[in-house]
Amino acid sequence: MISITFLFCALLGRLCYLQLFASDMLSARAAEQWYRDLPLKAKRGTIYDCNGNIIVDSKDVFTVYVRPRAVTDRAAVAKALSSALNLDETKLVEKLSRSSVSEITVKKGVDFETGSYLRDLGLDGVYFSVDSARNYPYGKYLTQVLGYTNADNEGQNGLEGYYDKFLKGVDGFSLTATDNSGVELENNTTKYIPAVAGADLNSGIDVEIQSFAEAAVDAAKLEWNALSASMIVLNVKTGEISAMAKTPSYDLADIPRNDVNMLNAYSKNTMIVDVYEPGSTFKIFTTAAAIESGSVNDESTFFCPGYRMVDGQRIKCWRTIGHGSQHLAEGVKNSCNCVFMDLALRMGTEKFYDYLEKFGFGSKTGVDFFSESSGLLMNEKSVKTVDLARIGFGQAVAVTPLQLISGVAAVVNGGIYHTPHFVNNITDGMGNVLYTFSDENRRVLSEGTSEKMRALLEAVVSEGSGKKAAVEGYRIGGKTGTAQKYENGAIAQGKYVSSFVGFAPAADPQYAILMIVDEPSSYAYYGSIVAAPYVGQVFKKIFDYKGIAPTEEIKEKEYVEMPFLDGKGLNESVNALEALGLNYEIAGEGEKVISTLPLVGEKVEKGDIVLLRTE
Amino acid sequence: MKRADDKQHYLRFDPVLAVSVTGLVLFGIIMVYSASSYNAEVNYGNEYYYMYKQIIGAILGFSAMFVLSVIDYHILIKFRYVILGISYVLLILVFIPGVGVENYGAKRWINLPFFTIQASEIAKFGFIVFAAAYMAKNHKKMNTFLGILPVLAVGASMCVLIILEPNMSITMCVIMLMFAMLFVGGARIKHFVLMAVPVLLLVPVLIVLEPYRLDRLMAFLNPWESPLEEGYQLIQSFYALGSGRLFGVGLFNSRQKYLFLPFSESDFIFSVIGEELGFFGCVAVIAVYVVIIWRAVRIAKNSNDRFGCYLSTGIAALIAVQTCINIAVVSGSIPPTGLPLPFVSAGSSSLIVFCASVGVLLSVERFSHKSVKCLIGK
Repeated sequence: MISITFLFCALLGRLCYLQLFASDMLSARAAEQWYRDLPLKAKRGTIYDCNGNIIVDSKDVFTVYVRPRAVTDRAAVAKALSSALNLDETKLVEKLSRSSVSEITVKKGVDFETGSYLRDLGLDGVYFSVDSARNYPYGKYLTQVLGYTNADNEGQNGLEGYYDKFLKGVDGFSLTATDNSGVELENNTTKYIPAVAGADLNSGIDVEIQSFAEAAVDAAKLEWNALSASMIVLNVKTGEISAMAKTPSYDLADIPRNDVNMLNAYSKNTMIVDVYEPGSTFKIFTTAAAIESGSVNDESTFFCPGYRMVDGQRIKCWRTIGHGSQHLAEGVKNSCNCVFMDLALRMGTEKFYDYLEKFGFGSKTGVDFFSESSGLLMNEKSVKTVDLARIGFGQAVAVTPLQLISGVAAVVNGGIYHTPHFVNNITDGMGNVLYTFSDENRRVLSEGTSEKMRALLEAVVSEGSGKKAAVEGYRIGGKTGTAQKYENGAIAQGKYVSSFVGFAPAADPQYAILMIVDEPSSYAYYGSIVAAPYVGQVFKKIFDYKGIAPTEEIKEKEYVEMPFLDGKGLNESVNALEALGLNYEIAGEGEKVISTLPLVGEKVEKGDIVLLRTE
Repeated sequence: MKRADDKQHYLRFDPVLAVSVTGLVLFGIIMVYSASSYNAEVNYGNEYYYMYKQIIGAILGFSAMFVLSVIDYHILIKFRYVILGISYVLLILVFIPGVGVENYGAKRWINLPFFTIQASEIAKFGFIVFAAAYMAKNHKKMNTFLGILPVLAVGASMCVLIILEPNMSITMCVIMLMFAMLFVGGARIKHFVLMAVPVLLLVPVLIVLEPYRLDRLMAFLNPWESPLEEGYQLIQSFYALGSGRLFGVGLFNSRQKYLFLPFSESDFIFSVIGEELGFFGCVAVIAVYVVIIWRAVRIAKNSNDRFGCYLSTGIAALIAVQTCINIAVVSGSIPPTGLPLPFVSAGSSSLIVFCASVGVLLSVERFSHKSVKCLIGK
């Protein structure tokens, strides 16, 4: 009896511990299993363009399920679903006949109207769930800029990824009392903690300008059968990226999630994360630095015999017959490599690098985007004279397209470098501003140097290799670029990156445009021929759209007839063209012209660029 | 005079015991309903499924209790071999396919037209009757090993049959019952030590033979290590008890009964009592058991012959042992075994047998004229 009493006392002690002392912990853990918390997905934020147009928002989509055993009229259900969802009716009937399957997902991502229509039909055995999905009113625009979200609506890359913490909002949840198998209890009252919608991004992108850029890259890729074509339009006064387009691409409404290689390749924003050798467009910075540092003045003359000997190495000018004696302005207009080698050598590494770093080369621009590249600028200490000369005309250096256009903007806008950016501010649904872009602008050039640069670059378009970017009645400045591509450290024969960077209006620049055509598969690989025309077209559209009035009188166009040059010597041909007032590019290394573009007898506007092909 | 005595017999009964047991059985019906209504609705489409079965069990149990209470318990001496024989037959029938019912991997039940009976529940009672009768007749031999051998043989053979089902918990129960009765019967301490050796040896052998027992043992030491497997049931029991706190969540308000706590209406009904009625409820229920055991011991003390004394002691010990083991399991104090809580857990066999044994207690009380000094367990 005593032992029994003792046992009962011990058990009471144990119960006392469980029910009185450990009860907080136990009941808290127990509560976790008593309630199912279903997430209430927060509505993901919207991305707006600078005019309040929706670039991306979220829409409700339906997922349609069927539980075959609950279907009473199989034929009617199959008919209704197949016609509304565009599915094969016989296949659907077959699916519905499989009673061994408890639930079939008929279709995901069904738009709201179709989904609601089907739901209102009240078909037996058909169930719906409503999810949120991203909605892209502009389809394939800005593919690489926006990035994408995964199946759980989390931003993976692009702006969706970079600003995910703002866009995603805070999920709410509902607490439902259930039994162990998840069945809701009869007397349950579900508690709701509402979701907080994600904040909205107000970007500087202008979908109108974006549409011009998209059209340009599509047309350029097609025309030149290029590997890719890309374009950036930058607001030079603010650093806002107005447009950024690249092709090949994919439609955001149909992201190739099943083809990872394609997805990775096409979603990559090469304009920010990849580098290329800029070639002649880089001469802008050599010139600006030289002027600002006082290493050159209007009277300085340069002589180009067609090459320069640097440290015993012979570096060719693109015009192998030479440009002769030139002032700076002529040198820029002619894009004479010798002039820029001289400028770089005159400044010396230290001074030149100071400016290059001010222009943002060798460091990230700080754009609001993941995985930005810093570009490749040789270590200052290991720069040899030969390297310095090459950097002067845009070789032995690699930059991101965004770095280049941001630097150009600083050169032409009066000398202020603005951090390039997509998003100006972020607001929540209540109108609170959660984030505002702060521009760490810095002066890199004086007003005077900037003004000089504008004039020099305007002449490139009005008289030089940038002619095809010209828009009648407007003043446009710019610079062409043609760079050979390197593969495994060696020059890849026949592979070029053709580019043009322009700005307008030249007197008071508002926009800069960089057009890059990668590997145009044509003998006409020059930036002046391949890229410049598209920059001109986009500027023209921007002028119309922005209501920027022409400032110049439209001159009567003068035309000349293309002379017969086939089989003639290069010198003779060049002189003939110059006499007619035509600019030219030479494709090939030979001394004899084999064909021309345009062909003989065709009308060419005076000052336009023609192509000479040599043996 | 004899007739008047008989009449007096009919009037005599222990009201405290009768009221306590009746109250506990009725309380059990309510708790079975509360703990099983959801489970019954889900599995059988009838929330009263288990409660109806329990009510039938209670009616049969009360009938058995009444009948046995008016019959002179000495009749059991006559029928001791019959009862023992029935016990063995039932224990063996369990293994015959078609008759025995396998559930949760064990053959413990015999199929009858209206309900299933658990053979070992009846065997426990059979053992008590046999042991009490034997010890009463041979009380002089009890201090020799040869004298206690028949009791040991019957107990051991029953244990072997029960463990083959397998049913570890009732085996342990029978072993403890056997020790308790032999102790009261006057067996020597050294014989206990001698008996304890094979029992202690048996434990590791069983663990090796059926490794799931070891897992269960580990689970009892730290159930949180395997919250979805071995530890699951114990954790769910803790959740129930812990949620109950001092006063409980209120009758019928258990949350753990919503399929979280397995066997909430049977082996783990005490968890639901703890959840709905709190620590106070548990104390009250345990108090009722203490009262029942106390009355049973009192009846044993006051019985006028050895048979009545041993019989009552055996019944008291059975109730005490089984109650203790059940509550110890539910509170995670010993490794989990499937043993019903006497009078309360759902299960007709158990309920009827316990009611019947209380009937025997009442009979012993009724037919005892003078108290006989009797050894009582400490």
